[in-house]
Amino acid sequence: MSEQQVVRSTRPLNTAWIGGVCAGLADHMGWPVLLIRLGFVVVSAFALTGLWIYLVLWLAMPRTAAERSAPGLEANARAGMRSAPAITFSGVDLSLATALALLGIGLTWMVQVGGWGLPPALLAAGVLTGGGLGVIWWQADHVSTREVVRGSGWRRLVAPLVRHWSSVVGILVGLSALGAAVALLVVGSGLDELARTVLLLGSSVTALLVAVLPWIIRVRRTLAEARQEAMLADARADMAAHLHDSVLQTLALIQRQAGDPKKVTALARRQERELRQWLYGDAPSGGSLVEALTAELLDVEDTHGVDVELVSVGDTELTPELAAIVRASREAMVNAAKHSGAERVDVFAEADEDQVSVYIRDRGKGFDLADIDDDRMGVRASIVERVKRAGGRAIIRTAPGEGTEVRLELPR
Amino acid sequence: MSEIEPTPAAWRVVIVDDHAMFRSGVKHDIGGRVQLVGEGEDVPTAVAAILKAMPDVVLLDVHLPGGGGIEVIKQVSATEPSMKFLALSVSDAAEDVIGVIRAGARGYVTKSISADELVEAIGRVATGDAVFSPRLAGFVLDAFSGAIDVASIDEDLDRLSVREREVLRLIARGYAYKEIAKELFISIKTVETHVSSVLRKLQLSNRHQLTRWATDRKLV
Repeated sequence: MSEQQVVRSTRPLNTAWIGGVCAGLADHMGWPVLLIRLGFVVVSAFALTGLWIYLVLWLAMPRTAAERSAPGLEANARAGMRSAPAITFSGVDLSLATALALLGIGLTWMVQVGGWGLPPALLAAGVLTGGGLGVIWWQADHVSTREVVRGSGWRRLVAPLVRHWSSVVGILVGLSALGAAVALLVVGSGLDELARTVLLLGSSVTALLVAVLPWIIRVRRTLAEARQEAMLADARADMAAHLHDSVLQTLALIQRQAGDPKKVTALARRQERELRQWLYGDAPSGGSLVEALTAELLDVEDTHGVDVELVSVGDTELTPELAAIVRASREAMVNAAKHSGAERVDVFAEADEDQVSVYIRDRGKGFDLADIDDDRMGVRASIVERVKRAGGRAIIRTAPGEGTEVRLELPR
Repeated sequence: MSEIEPTPAAWRVVIVDDHAMFRSGVKHDIGGRVQLVGEGEDVPTAVAAILKAMPDVVLLDVHLPGGGGIEVIKQVSATEPSMKFLALSVSDAAEDVIGVIRAGARGYVTKSISADELVEAIGRVATGDAVFSPRLAGFVLDAFSGAIDVASIDEDLDRLSVREREVLRLIARGYAYKEIAKELFISIKTVETHVSSVLRKLQLSNRHQLTRWATDRKLV
């Protein structure tokens, strides 16, 4: 996410105990989640303030959106060809939750005994309201997108409600709790009959509205998501078409050049790499060492028709010194491609805290370092000297018949 | 190249891949040097073919209808825990590679591997050793390097020894086992032992670190 974007805190349902508000706040502020949960419990002891804040935040914070993977991986997951990295629910730490609940009850009791609390009836009504809303909203959070999109009109609203008997029971329990809260409120109010009726009607309507609100928000949000999904699907179809074109093009080229195995291999390799990168998304991020090395090796593969394999461990931002290392790596790859006679060059790049190392290795004919002939003059100027200027060192290991390994190191 | 194996034609192999073209390509390439005793194109047919033929090695595609290669390993291992799997993939996606290894595969190679190397890899897996491609070695180094903090080093399984790290680094640099042995002045058998031990750690180490590594790389 870029710096300019407003980072909204969201509720990660996979680590949630109730609605994910605490987990979301913890992610957002970088605090331990236990501290926030504790805070809510403590504040709740005073006139249930924490409970009300929690409920308001529950409404205000959207659910954390699922991350998407590369299209090829997603397609394979959809088709059941690989087990999708499903959201894993971390579950509730029961002992910790019990401890927090006991603490909350204890604190509330102390506040009540101390005389600063709410009247008992109001307190009970508040707890019932919070519990009822919690149960209903929890159901709303766990509606699957598919069910909301599938229905139409009023069915769209009701379908998720009756998805499973447990959700129906949950909603009935939630509504009963709300009803009980309203009853407590009305009975405890000590007003005359007319005022009671008005209060009953008013609070019932309010309770229903507040309970139903998340459903409406959720359904609207899901519809918006579905629209976005459709747009994405279109964009993907365009990309797929573009890719098919490029693959078809390559196949046509291969047929035309069927007589030249080297060219055919080069074409096939290039296309394979392009397609794989798009499908499985292992493209390194912008301006990094690995990205620069990848660009160079693709170019060397294309111009010299050898196979260059890059394996990297770690990555780092491309500084001017590292750019020199990359250029030296390129020279080493080109040398291997032109002079070694090997069909494959292995490149290994490792960036750790202390240094960056790049190894370029071939199993070709090698040479004697002592008598570097004219066309090897490049080695000294373009590799050894260049790396030395950047503050690193180059070590060349080779012997006739032994292959060559160029090792470039740059301390960080 | 593969003069190490005394009787290479003896290995009995089942090949599992959903692309018939790839299966016949492999058959054509290595059919003369190993004994192909069965085929599978999705999870149920693969499990049936493997349990019927009881091969020395299963060549297993990572992406497969019915739950992927991992599912095949799970179902076969339920009745035949000693069955040996060599994973083959075009994907190269880290979570697939690590996933199939953690499920129990004894090796991972990409589909662009040459026929000679594939036969050698089959022999290695058949004799109980592990086969790491340079790419897999890179992933493993990545997984075990950044993710280690001092507090979590309480179990042997959660870190690689200096020697294992050296061996992995050489594999990532493109060295064959024979070349690694020469480089480190140890026997090929010792190299194999180190790689097998890395494989074991990869399969058994606590999930936490690998998960965190995957999360850091936005894989989960």
